[in-house]
Amino acid sequence: MSADLLTFLGAWSIATLRSATPLIFTTLGETLTQRTGVINLGIEGEMLVGACVGFAVGVATGNPWLGLLAGGLAGATLSCLHAALVLGANANQIGSGLAVWMVSLGITSYFGRALVGNQVTPLPDLGSPLTDGVPFLGIFFGQMTMSVPLAVAAVVFAAWWLAHTRTGIQWQAVGESARISSENGIRPKIVRFKAILLGGLLSGFGGAILSVDYTQTWAQDMTKGRGLIAVGLVIVARWKPALVLPICIIFGLAEVAVLRMQTAGWSISPHLLATTPYLVVLFILIINHAVARRDTNMPADLKRVFA
Amino acid sequence: MSVHRDTVLIVGATILTFFLLTIGFFVLLGKPPFEMIGMLLTYALGDGYSISQTLAKTTPILLCALAAAVPGRLGLISVGAEGQLYAGAITGTAVVLAAPDLPAALMLPMMLVCAALGWAFYGYVPGILRARMQINETITTLVLNYVAVLWVNALVFGPWKDPASQGWPATITFPGAAILPALPSSRIHLGLLIAIALAIGLHFFFTRGASSQKIQILAGNRKVGEMFGLNFGTWVIVLMAMGGAIAGIAGIAEVSAIQGRLQPTISIGYGLTGFLVSWLSRHQPLIILPVAFLVGGLVAASDALQLFAKVPAASAIILQGLLFAIALAVPGIIKSMRPNYER
Repeated sequence: MSADLLTFLGAWSIATLRSATPLIFTTLGETLTQRTGVINLGIEGEMLVGACVGFAVGVATGNPWLGLLAGGLAGATLSCLHAALVLGANANQIGSGLAVWMVSLGITSYFGRALVGNQVTPLPDLGSPLTDGVPFLGIFFGQMTMSVPLAVAAVVFAAWWLAHTRTGIQWQAVGESARISSENGIRPKIVRFKAILLGGLLSGFGGAILSVDYTQTWAQDMTKGRGLIAVGLVIVARWKPALVLPICIIFGLAEVAVLRMQTAGWSISPHLLATTPYLVVLFILIINHAVARRDTNMPADLKRVFA
Repeated sequence: MSVHRDTVLIVGATILTFFLLTIGFFVLLGKPPFEMIGMLLTYALGDGYSISQTLAKTTPILLCALAAAVPGRLGLISVGAEGQLYAGAITGTAVVLAAPDLPAALMLPMMLVCAALGWAFYGYVPGILRARMQINETITTLVLNYVAVLWVNALVFGPWKDPASQGWPATITFPGAAILPALPSSRIHLGLLIAIALAIGLHFFFTRGASSQKIQILAGNRKVGEMFGLNFGTWVIVLMAMGGAIAGIAGIAEVSAIQGRLQPTISIGYGLTGFLVSWLSRHQPLIILPVAFLVGGLVAASDALQLFAKVPAASAIILQGLLFAIALAVPGIIKSMRPNYER
């Protein structure tokens, strides 16, 4: 009985973590971008490009790590468009993000057609003779790949970096007030450019993990709003990198619950079940509002975007 | 509406840049650029058939643009037209399925009203979230888009599936009384007329009368508006719901007049395209009219181009994205080139 329970727990927790991993990278990237006072809805597009390019490179080279790297770089490249529009031409940030998304939808559906049906070499799992057959750990490590610990490490590092390094504090200062930070010798545009690039890199990486590591397939518009969900989750995480991890895990848990309901033979339309992630993010946003009332932690310069 | 010197400059520069980038795009695709642009124009406006195709695409784009423009007048960025379009298709279809024997005189108005009313609700929800909880309307409308599309899928794969249609997920074919009347042998239907009437009506709504003034004050400065005793939240909800209703009409018009039944794919991104049109027109209904027609032409012509010149379908989306990016970039760049520009 308890062995069954452990297997069950192991399967659930690893499934949750794996489904949350792409979202952790993307949400973390957007959190850091927004901390400097820039919102980027284009991460949906950057994630999509990352998934597409990452998958293509993964297929072509047979090396999933190269795929992930290429996906991250593709996301960063696309984010330059957002940076150019927002920082170079003072364009509306939300409009610019949508433009980036549109461009990426077109590009990926153009180049992605050739990728449909291809097989990619996945990342190896972390199972070892040490853990195989051990009740909880066996299944946990047997289904885990390096992407999960990497995501956790990225969150921990980002949280430390933002709070305790000179550049991290500069980023926060820019987010609160570009004017005051430039009076203190920081160049806000450069900082924001870096933050947008980093957000693009992490989103593209998250997208590549989605296609190369998690689903191991490519489909047109496969991110299906995950990037937009990430933008919503940033609000719930109160712009704190450390909170990205638990928030994304809650979200992953909901997704896994839905998948399990489907395989358990619930007679609900799969299409209705597929609405869950979107409804969950709305629900989390409402709960968040009920708990917090005000956007107290929102970087001050970001508030201007919404004013 | 005064035509400003700046406006002319901005519009001119935008069109020119877009033209140059389009040439570049076709060169990248390895197609002769001028021939391709010529073909785009021919397939958009060349003959009666092309114009009919263009107008068929213009209708949903125009309605979706108006749907984005209505909340846009208050400074809201609602990108929910795609979802509202699907949602309107659901409620409109529900009427047809519930009472397939109604005469056209009853059926059409009921179908349209249900599509609009039912899915004013789909604009109302993000409206309420924004007004009462400060939850950003752009994110909620975008997320809800996916939900509405999935609902349509759930219905046409499930309870609404026509048993006679074997594997094909779709409802029964609409009875004649539920098909919007169209010009003979064309795809120009009543929806276009409704859309144009709405555009003109909205123009007056937003330029004349007391509510237009209230909206203008609130959009300009929310605090000033609230000092006047205007309720920002109420206006958010009203305008979001209005936008939702307009997009709902677009949905049922597509289903009834173009497809003749509800099936999983109703829209090829009309919601996003409409948002782009509204943005390019600065949410002004009378400017939206011609812009929607031009973009409708672009969409229709790229369909034809895909067929005859093997240009991928995705190029229409890429071109729209580029157009959007340019339209965002040009005003800022022109401004920054002014000698007295402050950084």
